[in-house]
Order: sequence, then structure tokens, then C-alpha cells
Amino acid sequence: MKKSEREAYRRDYAAAKAQGKPFFPYAVYKDLIVASVAIGFVFVLAIWQPIGIGEPINPATTDFVPRPEWYFFFLFELLKIFKGDNALTPVIMATFIVPNILMVLLLVTPFIDRGRERRIWRRPIALTSGLLVIFGLAYLTQAGLEAPVGQAGAAGIELEGLDAQGEAGLEVYIANGCSSCHMIKDVGAPGPGPNLTDEGAKNRGIEWQIEHLKDPTSTSPGSSMPAFANLTDQQYDDLAVFLEGLGTEYR
Amino acid sequence: MTTRDVEPEAPPQGPNGPNGPAVGKPDIAPKNPAVAVGEQVVDYVDERTGVVAGTKWFMFRNVPAETSWFQTLGFAAFAIFSMQAITGIVLAMYYQPDPGTAFQSIEFITNDVTWGSLVRSMHRWGSSAMIVLVFLHMARVFFFGSYKYPRELTWVTGAVLLILTLFMGLTGYLLVWDQKAYWATVVATNITAAAPILGPFIADILRAGPEFGPNTLSRFYAIHMLIIPSGIVTFIGLHLFLIAKLGITEPPYAKRRFKAQREEDEARRRMRSPNTGRRAVPAAGDGSEGGS
Ligand code: HEC
Ligand code: HEM
Repeated sequence: MKKSEREAYRRDYAAAKAQGKPFFPYAVYKDLIVASVAIGFVFVLAIWQPIGIGEPINPATTDFVPRPEWYFFFLFELLKIFKGDNALTPVIMATFIVPNILMVLLLVTPFIDRGRERRIWRRPIALTSGLLVIFGLAYLTQAGLEAPVGQAGAAGIELEGLDAQGEAGLEVYIANGCSSCHMIKDVGAPGPGPNLTDEGAKNRGIEWQIEHLKDPTSTSPGSSMPAFANLTDQQYDDLAVFLEGLGTEYR
Repeated sequence: MTTRDVEPEAPPQGPNGPNGPAVGKPDIAPKNPAVAVGEQVVDYVDERTGVVAGTKWFMFRNVPAETSWFQTLGFAAFAIFSMQAITGIVLAMYYQPDPGTAFQSIEFITNDVTWGSLVRSMHRWGSSAMIVLVFLHMARVFFFGSYKYPRELTWVTGAVLLILTLFMGLTGYLLVWDQKAYWATVVATNITAAAPILGPFIADILRAGPEFGPNTLSRFYAIHMLIIPSGIVTFIGLHLFLIAKLGITEPPYAKRRFKAQREEDEARRRMRSPNTGRRAVPAAGDGSEGGS
């Protein structure tokens, strides 16, 4: 902004203030009314919809979709869009790059949009981007609200060609609530993890699978999958064989 | 001084001439000793801190004549934050940040403590209300263009407040220590760990180690109770100081703005074509003022 424009602003605002009214009581009374309405609203909600008690935690299993508070749904939904099914949408996009771009854009908005014009109907770019952000957030939050809440009954997974070790692996899979983030055939949640119906076709190898289960970030940088570090060696074997067979032997 | 350059108004005490100090006004004839002591205390403190002048500067400064109801959302967010602080302190009196007993202490608050369920529910709903209000407030600042010169840094402090508020929600969610909270937070810290360079480091700080363990809960408790609230209080202080110093913006659709803007547009047009100096236009603008 040019110096003359800054001076013009200062003159104009000094005039607005000179013709203005004192903050107390002319602005304070409005503030107090709206604040009382807001607090009253929370009070009524708290009485009408008291917060209940959840299930006590059990670190050994996640048998439903881990759901954050609704105001993080947009991030979770972004995560599902970039869930790392292919190289074009690496996991790191969702977990790091996109949120950080949003955060930096938020911080530097006033340094990008430096024009003097404040009337929104004369700021087409600001208007469009503002509306895009609002609709984007609303859409993603809505998608999060509608996301299926964990079909814990993953027992419905029906696969052909399961041998004894495959069966055992499937049991471990079910017991650990993997289907709260993954789908096999049509059973399970569609995200944040990739669909595992054809996992075996990726030819990751047993070693890799066990490594990934114990510490997902070691093999898939940027992974948000929890580490399953407390299974027995037998269980790791069964599960890895099961995963490697998906889409090849077990279908 | 450099600040003088930015300051849009005259020295702070300017607009409150009539509100001079009440000391020694003749109509309070024989002074009640209690009043005398009270005045002495106020004078003592004011002489050493300037609170009276400061409060006057904050409360009795002029704001533009036309302000919109949308400009109350920031204060509403502030009010809800204060409510969160109070309900949070009450909850902290009963809550136990220990993996073995946290869940039971939540049950105890909800079922046994007098008003416990109400306080907990208000705190939980308050977190959503605060997020909503902060977003609405930000939207109004954005659409009013209120972040423009000289309020860029007010926006930056606000953006930091938004981020801190979101982190409040994230860390508070784990404290109930139930399945949903636990697994959502495992995923959230894994996401943090995925960030390059600083990510693993920050995740280790959050989890109090490379894995989600017994100390993670007390770590989140300290962050939720001490670290972020002090950050929020600091930034709300900066935010409010800047707002009082720079003054609140006039809505872009205020009548006075339209008039000023029209004069300005006119001046610009005149500059572009100096020989068509249409004098008649500003005069017409004076009389017939359309609605907004
Ligand atoms: C909290 C959600 C979540 C849970 C629970 C979860 N995963 Fe994942 N999983 C993910 C995400 C996100 C990815 C993608 C990132 C990655 O590859 O690690 C993933 C990826 C995978 C992959 C694909 C690796 C590849 O790239 O080929 C396999 C196999 C897998 N998970 C198996 C499992 C198994 C088995 C379980 C249960 C023991 C499980 N997951 C539980 C979120 C989850
Ligand atoms: C904890 C959260 C916040 C609180 C308590 C808060 C409080 C306030 C208050 C009381 C005002 C006075 C005017 C009004 O109420 O509209 C204000 C103005 C302002 N806020 Fe915030 N705010 C918060 C978050 C934000 C955020 C997230 C942003 C933007 C990123 C922001 C940017 C601004 C700006 C630029 C102004 C000056 C507007 C003007 O002069 O018209 N604030 N804030």
C-alpha cells in the first residue's frame, strides 16, 4: 500500500472516530447481549443434551471408526481423499502438506490481499475464495457426519479359498478392529485406510507386512495407522499371510 | 515515535473530557470516611499503575457511529472462553489424569458430583460453541475486509488463536479416556508424527515417548490445562490491545463510508481527466443519501 493511501486511511478513520460514539455503552451493550445469548444457548444445550459416558478404553482393540470431534471431520475427510492408494496422492499430502498449506494461507491472508478496497461486492477474488473455503469445509464436515460408524461386525467378511492360516489371520484381523479403517470386499469402513481387497496383489511380502504392522511409519512414511506392537509372533505371521493372500488366493 | 505514525487517533485520553476524575466534586459535601479511604486506594493504585487512565482509554474510546451486530462475535468468543476457563477449573477439582482412574473420575463427575454433569456438558458444548463463534468471527472479519491496513497483525494474532483453540479441542478430547477419544488421539498423534523434520519430535513430546503410554495422559492434561490456556490468554491480550489501539473498523456498508467513498471515487475520476472537473456531483451527493 502506498504511503499516500495509508495517510488517506488514517485521515478517514480519524473522521469516523470523531463522528463516532464511545465504546461504553454503545458497543458494550450489543456485545453483552450476544455473549449472554451464546452462553445461554450452551447452557440450554447442556441441560437438554447432557454428555454421556463412553466405553472404557481397551488399547488392544479398535472395533469402531476412531472419530474425532466434529470440527476435525474436515481433516479426517481430507485424509480419506489422500489415503495413499497410489503415488499421485501420497499419504503425506493429507497429513502434512494440505493442512500446513491451509494454516500458512490463513496466517498470511492480510499480506496476500493488500488492496484498500473493503466492500466485498468489489472484491471478486476474495468473495470467491471465501465462499469456496466455507462450502469446502461444510461439504467435508457433512461427509464426516455421514460416514458409516464402524461395522464392527467384520465377521461378515466372506472370502473363498481360506486355508487354516488364512482363517487364523482373518480372526486376528477382526479381533483388532482393522475394519474400522479398512474395507475388505464390502465390509468395513471406507477410510482412512486403503481398501485391502487386493492387498496381496501389491506383492509387499510377509516381512514387509509384519514390519508395517509393528510400526506403520517405518514402511509407509506419513502413515496414520496405529502401530499394532503387542501381537504374538504367531499372530503376526497369520495376519501377514492373510494380508498377502488377499486378492490372490483368498478372494 | 514510531507508534505515533500508525496511530489513527489523537492521544488516548482525547474523547473523554467530561469524564474527569471525580475527586473533590463539590456536591459530595462532608466526605464519608469510607469514601475517602476508597478514593485514596484508587488514587494510590492509579498513581503507580495508570489503571484508571487505561480503563478509560479502553472503555470510553470512540468507535465509529455505525457498527454492526456481526462485530459482537469476537466478544462472544471471548465470553465462551471465559466460561470454558471457569467450568474447566471446576472439572479439574475432580478429574484425575491417571490412566487407571481417569475414566472413573469422569464417571464420578457425571453421576455423583452435584451439578457435575451440567458442568461437564457445558464444558463440552462450550468447546463446540467456541469453535463455531471463532469461525463466524473470522468470516465476518474476512468479508468486512477488516484485516487490511493497519490491522494485518490483529489478523495474525487471531489466526494463532484459532489454531490454539483447535489444539484445545484436540487435547481435551483425550482426557475423557474412553475408546473413541483414545483411538482418535492415537490417529491424531500418528498424523503429527508423519510431518517431516519436526513432526516425530513433536509427536514424541505429545505422547511423552515414542508410543502412546501411561504418561501420555498426564502430558495431554498439562498441555490442555496449562500450556495452551496461557498461550490463548496471552494472544487474547495482544488481540484486544491491538483492537483498542487501532480501533474497530467501520462496516464497509456504513452510510458514512458510502459518502466518503463516493467523494474519493469522484476525486480519482477528476484526477484522471482534469478538464471535466464536474463540480456538481459532490453537491448532489450531500443531499440525497440512499439506504445501504
Ligand atoms: C486408525 C485407522 C487404522 C486401523 C485401525 C488400521 N489401519 Fe491399516 N492403514 C491405515 C492407514 C491410514 C493406512 C495408509 C497408510 C499406510 O500405508 O500405512 C493403512 C494401510 C494399511 C495397509 C496397506 C499397506 C500398503 O501400503 O500395502 C495394510 C495391509 C493395513 N493397513 C493393514 C491393517 C491391519 C491388518 C490392521 C489391523 C491390525 C489395520 N491396518 C488397522 C489406517 C488404519
Ligand atoms: C479466541 C478467539 C478470538 C477472540 C476471543 C477474538 C476477539 C476479538 C474481539 C473481541 C474483537 C473486537 C471486534 C469484534 O468482536 O468483532 C476482535 C476483532 C478482530 N479479530 Fe478477533 N478474536 C478471536 C479470533 C480471531 C481470528 C481467528 C481472527 C482471524 C484469523 C481474528 C481477527 C480479528 C481482526 C482482524 C479483528 C479486527 C476487526 C476490526 O477491527 O473490525 N480474530 N477479535
